[in-house]
Amino acid sequence: MSEEREKILEIKDVCMDFKQKRHKVVHAVNHVSLDIYKGENFGLVGESGCGKTTLGRTCIRLYDPTSGQIIFDGHDISGKLTKDTRKFLTSHMAMIFQDPIASLDPRMTVQEIIAEGLHNQGYKDKAQIDSMVKEMLNKVGLLPEHATRYPHEFSGGQRQRIGIARALVLKPEFIIADEPVSALDASIQAQVINLLMDMKEEFGLTIMFIAHNLAVVKYFSDRIGVMYYGTLVELADADDLYVHPLHPYTKALLSAIPEPDPLSERRKTKLYYDKSMHDYSKEKPSLQEVVPGHFVYCSDSEKEAYLKELDS
Amino acid sequence: MTFYEDNKELYDSIPAEKFQLVQNNEDIHDAAFRTKPIGFFKDVWLRFIRNKASVIGGIIILIIMVFAAIGPSMNSYTYTEQHTDLANMPPKVPWIAKLNLGIMDGHYTLTKRQYDNIKDTSKYPEGCILKLKNPRIINGVKIVDVVVDYYKYKGLDDSQCYWLGSDYLGRDIWTRLWKGTRISLFIALFSVLCNVIIGVIYGSICGYYGGAVDMVLQRIMEIINAFPRIVVLTLFIMVAGTGMFSLIMAMVIKGWIPIARMIRSQFYRFKGHEYVLASRTMGTNDQKLIFRHILPNSIGPVITQAMMAVPTTIFSESFLAYIGLGLQAPNSSIGVMLSTGQKVLMQYPTQVLYPAIIISLLMICFNLFGDGLRDAFDPTQRGVS
Repeated sequence: MSEEREKILEIKDVCMDFKQKRHKVVHAVNHVSLDIYKGENFGLVGESGCGKTTLGRTCIRLYDPTSGQIIFDGHDISGKLTKDTRKFLTSHMAMIFQDPIASLDPRMTVQEIIAEGLHNQGYKDKAQIDSMVKEMLNKVGLLPEHATRYPHEFSGGQRQRIGIARALVLKPEFIIADEPVSALDASIQAQVINLLMDMKEEFGLTIMFIAHNLAVVKYFSDRIGVMYYGTLVELADADDLYVHPLHPYTKALLSAIPEPDPLSERRKTKLYYDKSMHDYSKEKPSLQEVVPGHFVYCSDSEKEAYLKELDS
Repeated sequence: MTFYEDNKELYDSIPAEKFQLVQNNEDIHDAAFRTKPIGFFKDVWLRFIRNKASVIGGIIILIIMVFAAIGPSMNSYTYTEQHTDLANMPPKVPWIAKLNLGIMDGHYTLTKRQYDNIKDTSKYPEGCILKLKNPRIINGVKIVDVVVDYYKYKGLDDSQCYWLGSDYLGRDIWTRLWKGTRISLFIALFSVLCNVIIGVIYGSICGYYGGAVDMVLQRIMEIINAFPRIVVLTLFIMVAGTGMFSLIMAMVIKGWIPIARMIRSQFYRFKGHEYVLASRTMGTNDQKLIFRHILPNSIGPVITQAMMAVPTTIFSESFLAYIGLGLQAPNSSIGVMLSTGQKVLMQYPTQVLYPAIIISLLMICFNLFGDGLRDAFDPTQRGVS
């Protein structure tokens, strides 16, 4: 079914290495390939430090990928960017950041923060910029009067909405939401998530949602990718992934979701994932499509085992 | 807790139409703020004026600056005008002299005078003797110390006076003091300004680009830092002669390094911040990132450090003048006045007193002012020095 849909972002075999002191290299993202289709919510989950954020930042070119190719809307955005490609990238892709306090410049007013992207794209007419900023503020549930305020005067949820307004003011097609609700409390999380949903409908956005809160991801996403230590280990439709997790790491991750009922929580068996359970000495693992639309990082013999598991 | 089941009758007795949906058919919007927006610098200002000591420091600095500007033209003397016959006059201000406080009335004690000559009007003009002190007999001669009105003793009338006295060439100390303060302040402020400009640009480049660029620039900085300042200054004096240029260069050649280091560390701290990244995702160029985002956030400590550098610079200017590497005659600066006054410290202590007061006030006030600024920019640093 995924063949007919239009791809907005293709990540092909992307690696992102960070050099540390004395020839030590950290492979933050290790040969990851995935496609994101127009109009979907793609969730990316994994434990802290597994490279989700790095992958997101590499997609928007905050980092230069070490190898591999990223194709966004038909434009190759890996490698050296020309002026036109950069302009295309910055106006069509936007990012929402995790920390609502750190992601707004404390020395700038809300107006300046939101209008910055417009200035960068060469908008000159002051009245037009003003009206666009006001419109955006209205959309995220703030008042036009808030434009003259400084970020420290707002609460966490309000700041995150300012961050969303900043990302959306250029009317991008693709949004990378890097843990947008992790720093907020539960009631505000719902507010921000619902706002994102509304905006998605209104602007026809495609969202890459990076999170470690599995409940939020399940609520939000159509398809989910699971990352472990820089590698994409499983990629499937959201429902499919939650009902039939195949990779042992995904199973461990799902078993960690707390249940509201204390009795069933106590009875639940928690799974632990150990890398050494795989024997990759003979067969090299790769991302394989076990059933249509469900990819798992495994070797051929493991694939057989997973297929058997699905049948039973 | 009361449950519906427990109070069924009570709840059911309320008619349904009394219930009303909250926020029905209206957009949910956050309330407008009632207060005025307070930006960062306004916040700093509000915190600063609450600190009384630094406000007073600032006011004293301002007063000294005003005097440095208008002081030299307040009387008829110029700072180079010499009256060698009127050398080392004591200070005299006519209206203070009338109050009979014993200060600034032009009195001067002539020691070991023969008592017999007191009446001699060719030696002691009419009415110049104020008091006789300490009569004693040495080798059979009557000796006294004579307190005289030195201006009358020199045969001057009441209209002519040196407010703070005159130096060994008969130049007016008031004029030279404020002229010197003006020059000292100018050297200090100008060299600090140069330091800040060079330091900010250099440090920004180091901190923003990092990596190899930073490596090379840091090594260059360390090499420059290794030159001893006195040697550099002496070389400058050899090439460019003594004067303001050499002095300012001596302050600037190494003075920008601490500021560059601080700016660099601030850039390392702020360039990875999410708001900088967020700005980059929207296509902001390097120049804008440096000057619109990172620099305004790191400017607080720079201003503070620059303020703290002013008294240090004034002091090193004085030090250089004192060891003879500073401004040369007839130019005056606080350091020049201190070093000439120090030679006659025992005889004419007032020649050192006034420049010393001014330089001490400047040091104390700039430090208080800088402390206040630091606390205002970064309240978490309060009390750390």
